[in-house]
Amino acid sequence: MSEPSFEEAQRELEGIVERLESGKASLDEAITLWERGEELYRLCSTRLDTAQGKIEELARRVEAVKP
Amino acid sequence: MKIEAIEYGDRSVYTVSAFNRGVAEWLSRLPSLWVEGEVTELRRQDRWQSIFLTLKDPADGACLAVTMPRGQFDALRLDLADGERIHVFGRPQLYEARGDFRFRALTIERFGLGDHLAALERLKRKLADEGLFAPDRKRALPRLPRRIGLVTGNDAAAKRDVLTAITARFPPARILVAETYVQGPRAASAIAEALREICDAPEIEVVVLARGGGSFEDLLPFSDERLIRAIADCPVPIVSAVGHEQDLPLSDLVADARASTPTAAARLVVPDLAELNARLERSRAALARGTRSALDRERRRLDLARDHLRRAPLLMLERRRAALEQTAGRLRALSPRATLERGYAIVRAAGEIVRASSQVATGARVDVELGKGGLGARVEETR
Repeated sequence: MSEPSFEEAQRELEGIVERLESGKASLDEAITLWERGEELYRLCSTRLDTAQGKIEELARRVEAVKP
Repeated sequence: MKIEAIEYGDRSVYTVSAFNRGVAEWLSRLPSLWVEGEVTELRRQDRWQSIFLTLKDPADGACLAVTMPRGQFDALRLDLADGERIHVFGRPQLYEARGDFRFRALTIERFGLGDHLAALERLKRKLADEGLFAPDRKRALPRLPRRIGLVTGNDAAAKRDVLTAITARFPPARILVAETYVQGPRAASAIAEALREICDAPEIEVVVLARGGGSFEDLLPFSDERLIRAIADCPVPIVSAVGHEQDLPLSDLVADARASTPTAAARLVVPDLAELNARLERSRAALARGTRSALDRERRRLDLARDHLRRAPLLMLERRRAALEQTAGRLRALSPRATLERGYAIVRAAGEIVRASSQVATGARVDVELGKGGLGARVEETR
């Protein structure tokens, strides 16, 4: 399975949170959901860090060519 | 004397001589009186018994033949010139031999200062009543006339002064000069004629009528009705620069503007070139300033747009990060760990969560997960 996009990961994370908040999940499921949630969080956070790094790099390059 | 008619049946007919004698006799009964007019065609010769002149009404040109015995005329030592205004005291007379009607002068008086003043005052009132001096008749002078007309005396320092003043202020000024008599009885009509001619010259957009200072009599032509009407009828604006400040000839009243000095006249008809250049320079500087400030304004706007552009992706990232952190916060609040941290423990045997003591036997190995860390343990007893 390929890596989900940021939006897909975020949607899944939110779905997990809602499921957990509803209180309907069994403890086993809750733990599985939680572990998956943490994984999704790490994924999203990494994506954001990467994007920020790209933007800052681009901004530096733009600054450099400015007369 | 009885005048006899010749009877032809019922028709009475008079001889020419008798008719003339009759008219002459009737005329001689009219009273002696004063007549005012301008001298024209003065004819005097030493061998003549009488002098002759034509008295002309300046208003409409009506004429009256005047005669006077030469001896009497010479005794007056008037030295009259054509165009001069006089009062003649006399009576009407018919020269019987020729049937010529004329005014027989008993005395002639040159128009005096008092007469001039009174006549001037009358004329001024009359023209004012006609509205010739009304402010709404005054035309605006052109700011930069293509060509300036200057009507002045042929001798005049006034001409030089006005020319100098105009060219000092505005060197490229184009001036057409008309010289004319400005003094004496013929001056008024001569100036009026010069004025009309110069107004007809091409490109003339303003005319300066200039005359230096002089006596009251010297300036009289500039109060003459003919000249005043000529000025009023001029198709281009007229500046009257006649005499000095204290003089107020009627030309000053009827003209579109009045100048008491040549410099003042120059100020009225041309702009100051130096000042014009300075103003142009200021405008140019302002133009450059204006352009620069517009440029600066646009650049600031662009910079602002660029800043927004730069910030937008980071801002979006921040928003997403905040949303993510919020979701993560909720996730953590719900995590079983929170429960463990309150003092609960999860017991697993062979990977399965132990929910009942029956699931394990004494001595079995279990894993205990705690809020912090975990334990490996053995079951001592089951209850």
